[in-house]
Amino acid sequence: MAINKALKFVAQLSIDKASQALSRFIRVGAKIEMDDIYMADISEITGKLSAESDEVVGAFIDLGGDVKFKFLFFVNAQDSCLLADLILRRPVGTTTTYDQYTSSAVQEIANILSCGIASVFTSDFQLGITISPPTVIHDFVGTVFLEYFMSIAVEQNEVMMIETTFKIVQQNINCHMFIIPDSKTEKVLSYISNTL
Amino acid sequence: MSKKVLLVDDAPILRLLLKDILEKNGYEVVAECSNGNEAVAKFKELRPDLVTLDIIMPEKTGLEALGEILKIDPNARIIMVTAIEDRESLMKALRSGANDYILKPFEEGRVISAVKGTLDE
Amino acid sequence: MNSQEIVVGIADYKVAKAPVVLSTNLGSCIAVCLYSSLHKAGSMLHIILPDSSSGINKDGIKTAKFADTGIPEMFNKLQQVCGVGINDCVAKLFGGAKILQQVSNNIGQANEIAARAVLKQLGIRVVAAKTGGEKGYRVKFDLITGKVQCQIFGEEIMEY
Repeated sequence: MAINKALKFVAQLSIDKASQALSRFIRVGAKIEMDDIYMADISEITGKLSAESDEVVGAFIDLGGDVKFKFLFFVNAQDSCLLADLILRRPVGTTTTYDQYTSSAVQEIANILSCGIASVFTSDFQLGITISPPTVIHDFVGTVFLEYFMSIAVEQNEVMMIETTFKIVQQNINCHMFIIPDSKTEKVLSYISNTL
Repeated sequence: MSKKVLLVDDAPILRLLLKDILEKNGYEVVAECSNGNEAVAKFKELRPDLVTLDIIMPEKTGLEALGEILKIDPNARIIMVTAIEDRESLMKALRSGANDYILKPFEEGRVISAVKGTLDE
Repeated sequence: MNSQEIVVGIADYKVAKAPVVLSTNLGSCIAVCLYSSLHKAGSMLHIILPDSSSGINKDGIKTAKFADTGIPEMFNKLQQVCGVGINDCVAKLFGGAKILQQVSNNIGQANEIAARAVLKQLGIRVVAAKTGGEKGYRVKFDLITGKVQCQIFGEEIMEY
């Protein structure tokens, strides 16, 4: 599928909504920037992404209904402790180890971000979207990616990737968010972007 | 004596956040539950002054638990909690007998005013 | 000697000669490593599903996704490129964890069973395996020695 300017605009709109929702949640400025939107072969992309050995906490969510996306949010395990402190409004550094609260912090942030993205389609384009409960994994970054990719890779050999990174101001936390529309949704997105 | 609150949410971090806010303002959190089934059982056992009830939860949702709690005690004081502005579920809850609602992310002022209002303080 | 590292993505395989390290990350997927000490050559396949019969999708079939199609194809390539015969070759298996606890079917286990069956049919002996559990794997397959360094998340690196 062709990735045109209008499609990039829809992706950017979603990411901006997610940024706003997150900033409100953690009460600290969060700016999410789209790194790239591209078509990728499943083997190449997982090969590239699984070369790292970092320990991360990731959450993935399925958005269903009129448009279907696979959503992934992940952060370095150490930074998930900082996110828990921000949500709990405690001094940063209070939480030092991965536990049910850090896992829950990542899960809630994933919820907030995916609701932000869904709101673009529900309010701006009047589409119906359902949001699955998040699945949280604490593992190697490569493993988190693979599990996220698994159900997509079963059905597709090539995927559209919307890749973002964001910084949380003052705390120097680097987060990553990926959105993969399923192949039918690529058509809906193309239709939306053509009507803009 | 401080008023007793039963806190129901499937997200541990949001329970902790709400608990911090409530305790700082002089309320006693008597139990925490992560789904609707636990909530109904704990309500029966502890008879709290107030329940904060998340709407979207696994096993039994907040809406289902709301109905069952009100059957046990029609005068139960219940505040619904929801992450998304899911107006339809919220309106349903309020029509079914919930006293008020708070939206996630929590604003401390809004939480306390909802709690005070619901407890007629 | 410094070995070049080649990362193997999902539904893919790489065939190489020493000095090369083939590496991958695994969850419920299985890495099938073939090695010939005679040729100092080997290959790694990263399968995601046991059986290709339901595997045709809009993009066509990708044979390296499946145990039944991927393993024979990888062996043929190893034979063509490096001259490795069936009798020169041994296999090692890694991965197949059950990462998502809420998913009822154990795809990792099904992948391992299928991979073993295909290797048996081809007449390739499985000399080492580390599979199962609930956490991810990182594996590095050194074609100089034929040894595989395998680390399960949260555990020490082990050699197979």
